[in-house]
Amino acid sequence: MKYFKNLVKPYVVWSFVIILVPIFMIFLYSITNSGNSLINIQFTLDNFAKFADPLYVGVFVKSLELGVITVGVCLVLGYVMAYLISKCKERTQGFLILLVTIPMWINMIIRIYAWKSIFEPLGLMYTDFAVMVGQICEFLPFMIIPIHTSLSKMDKSLVEASYDLGANPVQTFFKITFKLSIPGVLNGIIMVFLLSISTFMIPRILGGGDYMLVGNLIENQFISVGDWNFGSAVSLVLAVIMLFSIRWMKKIDKADN
Amino acid sequence: MVLCFAFFYVPIIITMIFSFNSSKSFANFTGFSLRWYESLINDSEILSAVGVSVSVAVIATVVSTILGTITAIGLSKSRKILKEWVLNINNIPIMSPDIVTAIGLMILFTSVKLEKGYFTMLLAHICFCTPYVITSVYPKVRSVDVNIANAAMDLGATPFQALTKVIVPMIKPGIYAGMLLAFTMSIDDFVISYFVSGNGVENISMIVYNATKRINPTINALSTVVIMTIFVVVFAVKIAPVIAKQQWFRRLSVKIPLAVKRVFLFASCAAVVFSLIQFGGIYRGGTTKTLKVYNAGEYIDESLLELFEEQFDCKVIYETFDSNESMYTKVMSGEKYDIIIPSDYMIERLAKEDFLQPVDKSLLDNFDNVIPAILNQPFDPENQYSIPYFWGNVGILYDSTVVRESDLEAGWEILRNPDYKDNIYMYDSERDSFMIALKALGYSLNTTDKSELDRAYEWLSEQKRLVNPVYVGDDVIDNMVSGYKAMAVVYSGDAAYIMSENENMRFYAPECGTNLWIDGMVITKDCKNTALAHDWIDFMLEDENAAVNTEMVGYSSPVEAVYTEISQTVYEGNEAYVPRQDNPKDEYFRYQDPEIKKYSAELWTKVKTQ
Repeated sequence: MKYFKNLVKPYVVWSFVIILVPIFMIFLYSITNSGNSLINIQFTLDNFAKFADPLYVGVFVKSLELGVITVGVCLVLGYVMAYLISKCKERTQGFLILLVTIPMWINMIIRIYAWKSIFEPLGLMYTDFAVMVGQICEFLPFMIIPIHTSLSKMDKSLVEASYDLGANPVQTFFKITFKLSIPGVLNGIIMVFLLSISTFMIPRILGGGDYMLVGNLIENQFISVGDWNFGSAVSLVLAVIMLFSIRWMKKIDKADN
Repeated sequence: MVLCFAFFYVPIIITMIFSFNSSKSFANFTGFSLRWYESLINDSEILSAVGVSVSVAVIATVVSTILGTITAIGLSKSRKILKEWVLNINNIPIMSPDIVTAIGLMILFTSVKLEKGYFTMLLAHICFCTPYVITSVYPKVRSVDVNIANAAMDLGATPFQALTKVIVPMIKPGIYAGMLLAFTMSIDDFVISYFVSGNGVENISMIVYNATKRINPTINALSTVVIMTIFVVVFAVKIAPVIAKQQWFRRLSVKIPLAVKRVFLFASCAAVVFSLIQFGGIYRGGTTKTLKVYNAGEYIDESLLELFEEQFDCKVIYETFDSNESMYTKVMSGEKYDIIIPSDYMIERLAKEDFLQPVDKSLLDNFDNVIPAILNQPFDPENQYSIPYFWGNVGILYDSTVVRESDLEAGWEILRNPDYKDNIYMYDSERDSFMIALKALGYSLNTTDKSELDRAYEWLSEQKRLVNPVYVGDDVIDNMVSGYKAMAVVYSGDAAYIMSENENMRFYAPECGTNLWIDGMVITKDCKNTALAHDWIDFMLEDENAAVNTEMVGYSSPVEAVYTEISQTVYEGNEAYVPRQDNPKDEYFRYQDPEIKKYSAELWTKVKTQ
């Protein structure tokens, strides 16, 4: 198996150039204050100090709240969907998964505008509800697919064994099926959480301009305000939060095993 | 489950329905028509964007699947520390918001002087797709028994055979999942593509985004075609074999999988060929004259581009932006254009930062036709750098069946009248909103006095408490055409269009002053072929062309004869098409000091999140 070790090398080089270098540059922006010019660099922590302002704390809290709710709803719906799909015949399964994916090949902005034309006559536009529905519709597939992947590779004989040993369906589900699908569930949670916390198109269109989430804040700093330094700082803080939540979830995964 | 699927497909069905709408609205269905399909076939911009989207997605998917799979396999055999490092780094593009990845890559490409275009877009897509493949393949690889590959090699398989014949088949589900994710991410990406692309290479998302000013139903038609194509292919792949099992079909059944394979092969070949054409296009660029124009989305009658190409035997590379600020970000990143069409304050900024070259007015035969009142404005005295493209002001568009005329006497204060609670659209732009508050308070809209900005902040935050307005972008246009709310702050040009679609709407610019604006054509320092650039400007000022343009866009023409004629014919009685020019309290925006800009941006965030 030694032969395969070298396979990782190209990606190490690639990821250094195209992932680490740009991130380092963003980091550089976040600890300087000289705007876009990198000629006269002045180091500062002011960009991070700004977070003390309740204004920005509020933005973060709201995004996290919305992210958590979206993940919650997606988890329940996504799990049910993935479970039902995995019960179908093999051929049908592939077809259904494809059906889940296809909507995502139509441009997201178009689909959001379509929601808008549904919500507007119902008077639901610019509400939390509208943003939530938009986000769930957009991100649910990212929950269904990983859960389905881990459900479908599950050894069915374990379920039968559980029945044979006298467990009822509820017990079997929680003790066997759900437990074995946890890696997929975690993957799904992480994906949906990441996507929902950094999106800015959905809240902007469905929530209105005063619907300020972290993604909007970052986009705002980079584009309309032109304050790349603060924008970089916000994105780094966001990245750190994400990193910790992923670590934390991985720990749960390990504790379960 | 059926409900869930319905949930996914509702927006798509709506899109399909509106692709047959006879009017431009995305809110009211006015009648059946195929006009958007017709314009789809004729729209070379959209068609080439489809080519870009699909070919980038296909190539990026293939490359990132291969790269991701071998990396995942290699990883499972690597030392722990390397494994953890690679996986953590791999998480970065997944974790950071798109915009961060986009800016990071943009800086990278600029700093290594890589010309932006198809190739950079492809690189970027591979960059953000590969991590998804790795994350979905890696867990699968981990669950594969190491001994199986060893056994294969003991039995005489080469490592390559062991890899392709033993390991890959076992991790297939993971690879498929990764592929699907990669393709999905790539085809739907907007932010990253937007920042790393250039030279006129645009994908569908970019077109859609820049067209949100007036939703272009051609895109709906395109989506319908795409979805139908997908269903046909899916039918061919998934359903057909089922039918094939039936007796009378059995003979064909052998051929079908083969046919499917051929289709895929053909598709990937087509993608590669297309990308080669794209590459070729960049290098071929040197042989004929080219002009790169950067304009706001939906801000030109595109037939003019072709006409210009014909008349001057050249190629126009036309790109669009959604706001002055994103244009500026892109130009700052080193993207080169010949002609840009920014607004007044941005013209001043670009001139100040030495991006522009003076316009030689002796080369412009039609310069004398421009309305004198919009020349020589403070942001560009003597029109040294800019020639007007469209102009207008900002005012209140109101539904005359709902709003009492007498209330209008309050000027901008009507926007704080509690009678219209929950019935007002504000423009989601800090500059425009502060303009309203400053003018309502009697200050200059270019104030540099922070205490005046503080007062304006209070005005705006009280407005939010009193009437709870909705802050919208360009979707206000479609919303007001549908008459969803009683009042909206809009640009005169948009108002002119809305009023031509909805006869209840009226336009009113408060007496206490408003913002006058001019979008002007400027020539950048990067422009080499200045003669052609001047030809372009002169071409746009020609009576006939200016008339076509103003009629299509709805904004007021800078050419006097055209302006007079259109205001008496197409836009007769439309007060928004004829912005007033005589109120001394009206002002142009000037370039804002970064300090003041930051200060008011912060206050604006406060208003919105209070």
